[in-house]
Amino acid sequence: MRFEKYFQPGSVEECCALLKEYAGKAKVLAGGTDLVPRLKMGLLKPTAVIGMMDIPGMDEITLSEEGLTLGALANLRKISLDSRLDQDYLVVKEACGHVSSMQVRNMATIGGNACNANPSADAIHGLILNDATAVIASDKGVREIPILEFFAGPGKNTLEQGELLVKFVLPKVKPRTGAAYKKFAIRGDSDISIVGAGARLTLAEDGTVAEARISLGAVAPTPMRAVKAEALLSGKAPGEELFRQAAEAAAEECSPISDQRASREYRLEMVRVWVRHALEEALERAK
Amino acid sequence: MYEEKMRFELTVNGKRQVVYAHPSKTLLEVLREELNLTGTKRGCDDSNCGVCTVLLDGKAVKSCTMLIVQAAGHKVTTIEGLETEKGLHPLQQAFIDHFAVQCGFCTPGMILTAKAILDENPDATEDEIREGLHGNLCRCTGYKSIVEAIEAVRDGDYGDYVINWQEV
Ligand SMILES: Cc1cc2nc3c(=O)[nH]c(=O)nc-3n(C[C@H](O)[C@H](O)[C@H](O)COP(=O)(O)OP(=O)(O)OC[C@H]3O[C@@H](n4cnc5c(N)ncnc54)[C@H](O)[C@@H]3O)c2cc1C
Ligand code: FES
Ligand code: FES
Repeated sequence: MRFEKYFQPGSVEECCALLKEYAGKAKVLAGGTDLVPRLKMGLLKPTAVIGMMDIPGMDEITLSEEGLTLGALANLRKISLDSRLDQDYLVVKEACGHVSSMQVRNMATIGGNACNANPSADAIHGLILNDATAVIASDKGVREIPILEFFAGPGKNTLEQGELLVKFVLPKVKPRTGAAYKKFAIRGDSDISIVGAGARLTLAEDGTVAEARISLGAVAPTPMRAVKAEALLSGKAPGEELFRQAAEAAAEECSPISDQRASREYRLEMVRVWVRHALEEALERAK
Repeated sequence: MYEEKMRFELTVNGKRQVVYAHPSKTLLEVLREELNLTGTKRGCDDSNCGVCTVLLDGKAVKSCTMLIVQAAGHKVTTIEGLETEKGLHPLQQAFIDHFAVQCGFCTPGMILTAKAILDENPDATEDEIREGLHGNLCRCTGYKSIVEAIEAVRDGDYGDYVINWQEV
């Protein structure tokens, strides 16, 4: 037996009440692609598991004048195939589409990808590049934090006991914006990233960079932004040499470790390569 | 400790099933151990190899990595559900004809994944088929014959392809 009790609440309030009642001894179940293997291996031993599938609206993908809202239970495969997002949120689709295989994506959720707080998580790059806000509920009410403040360390998020991630809100995309996410892994998408690199460029009317975002995965204890590289791009005319400098700056900002997938040195080299590729594609899409 | 079972209803291969199981059981465990549908295989048991693939409301999923609670109320298709009174499913016949089966352990998962690929996109290109099969490992055939078998069905060698998960 992997847990004792199972609940399937019908609202966020009910779910938060259960989380409070079980004070750290309950785990919510989204797609289960991360939770179920951990339960089976005995790495997690919660008293209760709480299925969220009966909470209305938690899986919605809503595009409006204000931007894009992704419910925590929004499915990765659905996001990756949603043609409404082609215009402004292509990178959100792209990042979700890089998570493992079709079978895993058919179950996995965007909220689960964030809550995992895996340094190599892929789907969350679309959120980071778009300055997403995480909306979090508990019995005390609702709070909002910028996506990067959601990650605390490998496998650790900043949710407090009793809190539930409800949705992500992505602001409206400015004109002349393009973004791309690159996953670098030996065996393709069903492998864990050696390096993940994302870029967003918003151009001014004169074609210079008005705003830049660079996101990196698998090269620090949490997914991160390369803010020095972003600053270096700002106000300048985009081009090969500038992108090379930005990629170099990004490599200096991150702190990869050596593990079975790649050495620290190799990862740094790959940051230089893939940040450049991400910037080139982002520029292409911004035009 | 006493395992408190719960009652779950799901449709498996077109038949309504009621099972009593602990909610921590995986769909794979329920299929194999409660419903005796052993065509669905257990390989890695951690979501990597794809031999446990079944269709959930027509979409390919790994049954080793989902709890029975996630399948309750849904339609599940296993390899046992593909054959009809008219005979084998075109994909089953094509796998035999193209020698896409050697030891056969990956085959149920491969065929159900192939079905999901063609049901979603009856014109899937070779690249799209290969991308769709990314989560399924075969240690015997080298994939070439598997892809060829799927392409043969796509190309109408076994008659017009009928998308039929809704009915099963
Ligand atoms: C074979 C395999 C390959 C994988 N490959 C990749 C990959 O290439 N890239 C990648 O990024 N990930 C990968 N993953 C990891 C995982 O599939 C993803 O992170 C997925 O998005 C998790 O989502 P889920 O809905 O399945 O989460 P679940 O497993 O349901 O939940 C994960 C954790 O988050 C908690 N949680 C979930 N939702 C909430 C919420 N709303 N509020 C509070 N807590 C919550 C759960 O309690 C649990 O602890 C892989 C996993 C497997 C098994
Ligand atoms: S047994 Fe489920 S993926 Fe290997
Ligand atoms: S036929 Fe043996 S694993 Fe595929």
